[in-house]
Amino acid sequence: MPVIIFDRVTKDYKIGFRKKKTALKDFSLSVNEGEVFGFLGPNGAGKSTSLKILLNLIFPTSGKVEIMGKDVKDKEVRRFVGYLPENPYFYDYLNPVELLKFAGKTSGMDSTHIKERTESLLNTVGLWNERKREIRNYSKGMVQRVGLALALVHDPKIVILDEPMTGLDPIGRRQFIDLILELKSEGKTVFFSSHILEDVERVCDRVGILVNGTLVRGIDLRSENISGRLEDIFIEEVEKAGGIQR
Amino acid sequence: MTPIWSVASITFKEGIKNRVIFGIVIIALLLFAAATVITNLFMRDIVKVAVDLSLSTVSFAGLLTLLFVGVNLFAKDLDKRTIYMVISRPVSRQQYLVGKFFGIVLLAFIITFFLGLLSAIPVAISKRIYYYPEAGFDWRIFFIAVVYIFIKLCIISSIITLFSSFTSNSFITLVLSLGTYIIGQSTEAVRVLLVSGIEKVKISPVLSFMVEAAYYLFPNLSAFDLKIQAAHGLPISSSYIIWTVLYAISYMAIVVSIGTLAFRRREFP
Repeated sequence: MPVIIFDRVTKDYKIGFRKKKTALKDFSLSVNEGEVFGFLGPNGAGKSTSLKILLNLIFPTSGKVEIMGKDVKDKEVRRFVGYLPENPYFYDYLNPVELLKFAGKTSGMDSTHIKERTESLLNTVGLWNERKREIRNYSKGMVQRVGLALALVHDPKIVILDEPMTGLDPIGRRQFIDLILELKSEGKTVFFSSHILEDVERVCDRVGILVNGTLVRGIDLRSENISGRLEDIFIEEVEKAGGIQR
Repeated sequence: MTPIWSVASITFKEGIKNRVIFGIVIIALLLFAAATVITNLFMRDIVKVAVDLSLSTVSFAGLLTLLFVGVNLFAKDLDKRTIYMVISRPVSRQQYLVGKFFGIVLLAFIITFFLGLLSAIPVAISKRIYYYPEAGFDWRIFFIAVVYIFIKLCIISSIITLFSSFTSNSFITLVLSLGTYIIGQSTEAVRVLLVSGIEKVKISPVLSFMVEAAYYLFPNLSAFDLKIQAAHGLPISSSYIIWTVLYAISYMAIVVSIGTLAFRRREFP
């Protein structure tokens, strides 16, 4: 059963008064419940744009986008969604506990549950001992971990991650992969974009390759045996689609 | 209500922990100390001078807080995309904007409350040393004036909210808000001057219209300046209080509503 649906979505950005840039062209995609979907594409292909449309941060020029059968404009849909943006930035003077409290409250959780989840998640991402430090004193990788904890605090059914491995060291990357596999085993749907193809191949059920705003190929890694050739396929598809138009 | 309160709470926490607040409070404390010393240089009406200086300090510190901390609480969210962590939750754009407004109002409340109490010290000192019964000073009116400073700051917060709803640039918001503050402080005086007429000066109808338009468009902030009443112990009628408070609430409601309309369709690419 599809829980994420993009139906013929086009997104144009205005550049100046008359010019426009098309970030997504007639883009259709569906992600099923419990699937780990890897979203690939060169820089500027439209990956972040599609994720932002999914979170209602930007609006599609045309087409329909749904989460769990509801239009993404309905804010209640986001109760079931956890999102980690690319290069996240949080309030400088707050600590992760205050941020997680905010995230939990706005997602409708009660205080006791928030406290439990905060402790367990900050332990998982390795920040429990640093929990009283203000975010402005954190390194990039630590901020990324806070972002991950924020995305998961309300135990969402769908987890959307935009370049989640950015800024993580090899240990962090490994922990992250384990976390995705854990989410998968819990039956969560994970939709993430990444440039690290090796990791994508390891954890994903399906991948989609996006070039110049168009989905050029979808691969089901459960049925297609590409054993280590994802990078070649990716480059081939990008070249076939005429490279990158910027 | 929860999303609005959550956004207000996080906005307040982020604002109050900002180091700029400490700087502003220190400036205010120095001004209070200076007020105590300066009043001694006056030959007469020393209590009035102390009241004027103390209330001006509270108002000035509140304005600095809003312009340098309040404006940035919005601008940073939009510029650094901190807003993603709010809007990606079940929080609508309107709830975000209203929550931000209340967060800044809460910040203005704490600053006014804290400095309002401290502002009584220079007044109390000068009153103890130089008071004479004819001065007609009343603490109740003094504290009503402090409350009115807070109401004025709330109106400025709503103006900041409006300008932040369509621009991400903190400098533009700061300039527009400061401009509105300056115009809002003087429209009534200019209008009174034009209505009463100036001898041998012909006022063009265009100018009259512009002043009249500015009077209704911009907030009449001078109505919330009760320094003279506080300094001279002049009574404030209950009808004045009711009408000015109603005016402030209506003005803020309209301005924030316009802000939410502009913000509803705003994208965060």
